Amino acid sequence: MSYRHIVAAGTLAAASVIAAFALGSAAAQDSEGGPAPEAGAWSQSRTAWGDPDFQGVWRYEADIPLERPSQLEGRELLTDEEVAQREEIEADQQAKRLEGFEGGAVGRLSIAESPIRGNEYNSFWQDHGRPRQVYKQTSLIVDPRDGQIPYTPDARKAAARSTARYGVGPFESYLDPDTGERCLTDGVTAMMWQGPNGGHNQFVQSPGFVTILHEEFRDRRVIPVDGRAHGNIRQWFGDAVGHWEGDTLVVDTTNFLDRTNYEWASIWTRPSETLHLVERFTRISADMMDYQITIEDPTTFSGAWTAVIPISRLADDTQIYEYACHEGNYAMPNLLSGARADAAKKSASPR
Amino acid sequence: MRTNLAILLAGLGIAIAAVPVSGHHAFAAEFDANNPIKMSGTVTKMEWINPHTWIHIDVKQPDGSVEPWMIEGGPPNALYRRGFTRDSLPVGIEILVEGFRAKDGSRRGNGTDLTFPDGSKLFLGSSGTGAPR
Repeated sequence: MSYRHIVAAGTLAAASVIAAFALGSAAAQDSEGGPAPEAGAWSQSRTAWGDPDFQGVWRYEADIPLERPSQLEGRELLTDEEVAQREEIEADQQAKRLEGFEGGAVGRLSIAESPIRGNEYNSFWQDHGRPRQVYKQTSLIVDPRDGQIPYTPDARKAAARSTARYGVGPFESYLDPDTGERCLTDGVTAMMWQGPNGGHNQFVQSPGFVTILHEEFRDRRVIPVDGRAHGNIRQWFGDAVGHWEGDTLVVDTTNFLDRTNYEWASIWTRPSETLHLVERFTRISADMMDYQITIEDPTTFSGAWTAVIPISRLADDTQIYEYACHEGNYAMPNLLSGARADAAKKSASPR
Repeated sequence: MRTNLAILLAGLGIAIAAVPVSGHHAFAAEFDANNPIKMSGTVTKMEWINPHTWIHIDVKQPDGSVEPWMIEGGPPNALYRRGFTRDSLPVGIEILVEGFRAKDGSRRGNGTDLTFPDGSKLFLGSSGTGAPR
């Protein structure tokens, strides 16, 4: 599948979803809507027992921010010219990395200049994969249409507090770093499209089950698709049950267990006990999956919100690696001793 | 160039870091951005652990003594996918490390840059450096 086709497919999916929300219809959930399939066009393959086959390793490789940047306020889609400009930048940055340029030469800012804390690691340590794919969508969030998370007033304050404490502390105990820093999990909400140290997701299917193995933290979800109802046990990843609607896998998850007991760096990923997720996985080509997630949680949000996320299938020989990790390893003592050093400095300095 | 590109990216509304900050240890909590380090040392060990690798080096002091240092690197899985194997930094090889020292003043640091004695960078000219497949 060519780059242009990927862009076109993403645009089609985004546009159809935006149109569906605008009309208040659920038509976008199905993959019809597009032009009639051409002869020899891709069609959904099936497992031996007849389910749509999603097996393989998938990863989010797009450049779309979750929330719409303020510069693009009021605009749901980029123009063709803007897409072309961004593609040029992505290709240029990728070429520079391959030539051995790093740091500012590929657009990464220095520590002093970086507006985002936690972004201080030099790009040569990172897995860049392929150039990021450019889409017309200006935010992953398509509903509400302003592309912003609809926090409740209290949750908005909590989000500001968690942003302020990220990387700053307090770090009084090993329980203060969040569950991601402790190598446990970043939660299920963003699992499909995040994971800076391993955003790969392997889909494995067997009769009655779809299993997703996420590389980072070795997170895994075993999703029954055998028609069972929700159980009543609360779990960190909630209780997921799936079913097929046509060729779309619909997964409904409730019964989350909130053991975060602090404000996460990304508070919208918090698995509050009132959280309800509905995810829709639709394979739209050999290489692309349309992933939609609708998040409802009266504790954190004033209404439901939906993100439409393009996920790419990686080459057949792509492997998931082990992610053995224990309490951040050296990161934990470094965090705690760093906080002690900061405290000592503060108490030693004259008031 | 850096400024221009940053302005261009900001103007286009491109997030400089596309991946939203999620639950990962923040640089600022562990390392001191006001305490940059630059040192040459001999690799004695590489720990392939998550969430970050650690390179152990011996750094010779002017008086002839040797100080052991630990330098934090990238995630093992990301390094491996970029073609970095355990042969990339064999024990005994000398490297120039630039980075930032741990806040607690211990001989640990984050490695922002890593150069071989001939001036070549870690990934320059190696195969499998993340090329499009």
